[in-house]
Amino acid sequence: MGKEIPAEKSLNLIRGRLCHPSFIFRPLSASSDSNYSKLKFIVSTSIMEGCNNSILLLGPRGSGKAAVLDLVVGDLLEQFPDSVSVIRLNGLLHSDDNCAFKEIARQLCMEHHLLFSKMASFDENSHFIIAMLRECGLAHKTIIFVLDEFDMFAQGKQRLLYSLLDAMQSVTSQAVVIGISSRLDADQLLEKRVRSRFSHRKILFLPPSRDELDGLLEHLLSLPADSSFPSGYVSRFNDKIKNITSDRRFKDILKTFFNAHSTVNSFLKFIFCAVSLMNLESGLLSLENFKAALSSMQRQPKLEAVRDCSVLELYLLVCMRRLEVKEQSSYNFISVMKEYKAIHDSFQTSDYYAQNVCIRGFEHLRERQVICYAENRGQSQTGEYRPMKLLISASELHQGMRSHACCPAILLKLLDH
Amino acid sequence: MAATPSSKAKTFQSPNKTPTNMYRKSYLSPSSTSLTPQTPETLTPLRRSSRHVSRKIDLGNDPIDLQGRESIQEINLTPRKRTTDVVAETLTTPKKKKIDVEASFSPISPNRSETITKKKKKKRVYYNRVEFDETEFEIGDHVYVKRREDANSDEEEDPEIEDCQICFKSDTNIIMIECDDCLGGFHLNCLKPPLKVVPKGDWICQFCVVHKPPPLQGKKKSAKRTMREKLLSGDLWAARIEKLWKQEVVDGGDVYWIRARWYMIPEETVSGRQRHNLKRELYLTNDFADIEMECVLRHCFVKCPVEFSKASNDGDDVFLCEYEYDVHWHSFKRLVELADGDSDSDQEWNGGKEKEIDSDDDEESVCADSKSKRGLKGANSRKGRIFGLAKRIPEHVRCHKETELEKAKATLLLATRPQSLPCRSKEMEEITAFIKGSILDDQCLGRCMYIHGVPGTGKTISVLSVMKNLKAEVEAGSVSPYCFVEINGLKLASPENIYSVIYEAMSGHRVGWKKALQFLNERFAEGKRIGKEEGKPCILLIDELDLLVTRNQSVLYNILDWPTKPNSRLVVLGIANTMDLPEKLLPRISSRMGIHRLCFGPYNHTQLQEIVSTRLKGINAFEKTAIEFASRKVAAVSGDARRALEICRRAAEVADYRLKKTNKTAKSQLVIMADVEVAIQEMFQAPHIQVMKSVSKLSKIFLTAMVHELYKTGMAETSFDRVATTVSSLCLTNGEAFPGWGILLKIGCDLGECRIVLCEPGEKHRLQKLQLNFPSDDVAFALKDNKDLPWLANYL
Repeated sequence: MGKEIPAEKSLNLIRGRLCHPSFIFRPLSASSDSNYSKLKFIVSTSIMEGCNNSILLLGPRGSGKAAVLDLVVGDLLEQFPDSVSVIRLNGLLHSDDNCAFKEIARQLCMEHHLLFSKMASFDENSHFIIAMLRECGLAHKTIIFVLDEFDMFAQGKQRLLYSLLDAMQSVTSQAVVIGISSRLDADQLLEKRVRSRFSHRKILFLPPSRDELDGLLEHLLSLPADSSFPSGYVSRFNDKIKNITSDRRFKDILKTFFNAHSTVNSFLKFIFCAVSLMNLESGLLSLENFKAALSSMQRQPKLEAVRDCSVLELYLLVCMRRLEVKEQSSYNFISVMKEYKAIHDSFQTSDYYAQNVCIRGFEHLRERQVICYAENRGQSQTGEYRPMKLLISASELHQGMRSHACCPAILLKLLDH
Repeated sequence: MAATPSSKAKTFQSPNKTPTNMYRKSYLSPSSTSLTPQTPETLTPLRRSSRHVSRKIDLGNDPIDLQGRESIQEINLTPRKRTTDVVAETLTTPKKKKIDVEASFSPISPNRSETITKKKKKKRVYYNRVEFDETEFEIGDHVYVKRREDANSDEEEDPEIEDCQICFKSDTNIIMIECDDCLGGFHLNCLKPPLKVVPKGDWICQFCVVHKPPPLQGKKKSAKRTMREKLLSGDLWAARIEKLWKQEVVDGGDVYWIRARWYMIPEETVSGRQRHNLKRELYLTNDFADIEMECVLRHCFVKCPVEFSKASNDGDDVFLCEYEYDVHWHSFKRLVELADGDSDSDQEWNGGKEKEIDSDDDEESVCADSKSKRGLKGANSRKGRIFGLAKRIPEHVRCHKETELEKAKATLLLATRPQSLPCRSKEMEEITAFIKGSILDDQCLGRCMYIHGVPGTGKTISVLSVMKNLKAEVEAGSVSPYCFVEINGLKLASPENIYSVIYEAMSGHRVGWKKALQFLNERFAEGKRIGKEEGKPCILLIDELDLLVTRNQSVLYNILDWPTKPNSRLVVLGIANTMDLPEKLLPRISSRMGIHRLCFGPYNHTQLQEIVSTRLKGINAFEKTAIEFASRKVAAVSGDARRALEICRRAAEVADYRLKKTNKTAKSQLVIMADVEVAIQEMFQAPHIQVMKSVSKLSKIFLTAMVHELYKTGMAETSFDRVATTVSSLCLTNGEAFPGWGILLKIGCDLGECRIVLCEPGEKHRLQKLQLNFPSDDVAFALKDNKDLPWLANYL
């Protein structure tokens, strides 16, 4: 590997931390009120007392549901090495009942070193699962079913959920079903008979408070003193971090960031972005890094699309906008061309292109999703006659044209009035 | 596995080791190849063969030692398996020899019981109860079995009463107390200080307290050992009688045999004695042997933990058995308590023969798997037993002392079957009357009942407990036998599959559904018989009946049409949630199904309270008002008993959590109203208000804009275009920075993902349609008192 310069090393260290869920969520879940300890209490008592439970973890995407669950499961596997087995399913992959049963059977076979047959039918698999639930219950083993994207399982006949929950209430078993969902109404999706069997423990994941995030920021960015970094470098680095975090401008950046994003995950992404921009020569983070990270996180794709348009395309957009202002709700390429011609006739602009050139520009706009067809039907018609819609609002168009490099002044005037 | 050699060595280091060695070798080699399955450890179960071996040694040895107790002239301790010529030569009497020759068979055959029946044309007479040597033995009894006949047991007497460890006398008039550690007996008045009464709970003797062995009284001690001591030191065996039969011997006279299912002491298992093992603990094995009645010494009593805890006064021969030990796989498995009495445990305990054949099949298939890829069969596609799950019993299970709260939690589990079903006696009577009427009726025409009610009102469990009672009556002989098929509509792969499931349940064969339909039609419409079933009436319970509705409803029609046929003798009980299922179906079906209906209404709060408190009887864990609160709440919402139980269990969990976290011995360990309140909140309250309170600032503004838009236009649905315009004007007037449309779109989509807002995919951008998923009042409630954005209240 050769010699690593300290800057690279610190960069790798911090990136490694950012990608390591347990490093981030361990300090966040220390208190007894945290979701971690609540979840751990429920699952570990179910293991200790040999009972069944079903839990829903709810919360917006990126709030650390799966990460906290992984922490809990990891701890429990350490605590009870022989008596816990974990089955993981994902709603996006296994929402089909048949496929889900097969996957559960496969994982159970893997877990217990049994031979798995791909050819087994739905019936055989479900018998096998129920038999295994029973056997595991008798052998004091708890099966933890982790159902990610729980809402996807709650579609159709919900055969999987019904079978699992019904087995849990009728056989001597020890199983915990943990559903993870970002839909807050996930339990309302369950059918009545399934809902009646569900134990309805709900754990809600809310975004952490600002204080916790400040603590997390320091926890993430400060370098440890005892490692192989040159000692001066560590103190310089940490001082710089302290310097930045106490800066007013940095606080403003964070504030704008938190105005729009509140989850842990987006915060981590932001820090990752900033750290990746670190100047390797100086080896220190700077305020500019964070500023750049913020702007790269908060992009305005439509504005950028307008900024890159050709003049002809801007003309077309302005024409469409004018048609909308005239309350002509439905328009197609032909009517846009008419408007374009009218503008040209009245203002005698220099930019007048033939129809086939315009149609190319039109197609280009459509490909960039600045405009689109109003409806998917009517594909038999040729493009020129299909009704169109503008996918960009007036103010965005205005803003984009103003920041455009070579937008004719007349266009802005045309748009305004 | 590290402990294995030592524990095994212990088994064999008995005085009779030397003469047996050669035999053991000769028996072990065939048995290890064909009899034992290829366990992952590929470890031959020495214990099993050692038993058979020593049985043979009994043969070769002089049978004098038996005379001490049982006055029998000859013992016919015939080896049942694989008698080789070596052993036959050692036999002394010709009679024995004959039996042995008959009993011997080729060492390659894996299934010994089969071979026995083939080779022996002799009649066996099976009994449920046999009186032998003035003692009555019954199937399911536990007995001591002799292990070594050549041990120095000449002066063997069977001391029924143990000696006191201090005075070394056995005086029956004085109460004796047993130390829970060394199992020694002590007279109450020999102790220092003497005790008046037997103390409650565990008691440990003075020797065990200081970890010093009690003074041995030399010879006397070793000579006079009770059977319990011998069993626990491995000199005796305990077994369960699985079968009893009488067999004629060639020159007249009968020999009684039993099939014994062995018990093991913890030392004999692979893991050895573990810390959590109790002194009197035994393991039930899946190891069987046929032995003659002469080997049986006398009864002992092996009990499940619940009975064991009650049987503190039942004498010395009481043992505890909680686990089954698999001798092939060296795994443990909890025994299903007999007290449950459900059908599964019946299966568990049914005769040894089927069981053995089953396990042999398994062995074969396992061997086949390992040997040839041809017969490869996955565990999930064969319906055999699964074994080898627990290599050791986790300590935390055994050492755990249950608190009142934990007991309450356990009885509130949905999986625990209640002893009685309160509040449903009327419905159960009706079902019983209906079923009895239809079974006893010769014609049995058109019997079909539709049971409906919301989930959690005890429909299925009521029917099942009626069937259980009926089964008891069948066994008592007051009702003629019937066959009962239980099907759950949601567990079928497709509605048509029900035919093959019914056919399989009735005949034991699995066929495709078309074929099964044909057979069933023959059976029910034309009265032909399936298999060996002798025209018994058939009761068909179909749970979740609504799942069987197909497009042309032919499945339901077929099933409901059979009972109307003259010779069908079929009763159909359908269970579903909807009240008007018959009305939704075709008229020809509803006319067949809709006649006899039974409604399970939702429970009211007194009933729910009764259900919860009957479960909690004898456990002081809940405040009475807490139960009442929970049941009133549930009764007001759904009347679902499962809900009520779950709320109470959750409340107990909350209380447990609270008590453990505060970490001090609170004065009352009771579940209080506040805990129930928390549980109810968690169960019934949607979490959206909390989420709305904690979302980012812009999301709050976004939601406010939506509400504002709703008030302004009165239309529930708006477009992103308009919301964004509103947001920008709100931001402008209140001095917030407008973030730009792109970010706003992202925020809208995030809210849509949580389903606070219903929205179309984000690619439609400006045209995206949005709608609040919750009443606008909820949003107003959540955002009104916001400290960061006090101005939001103006727009709500």
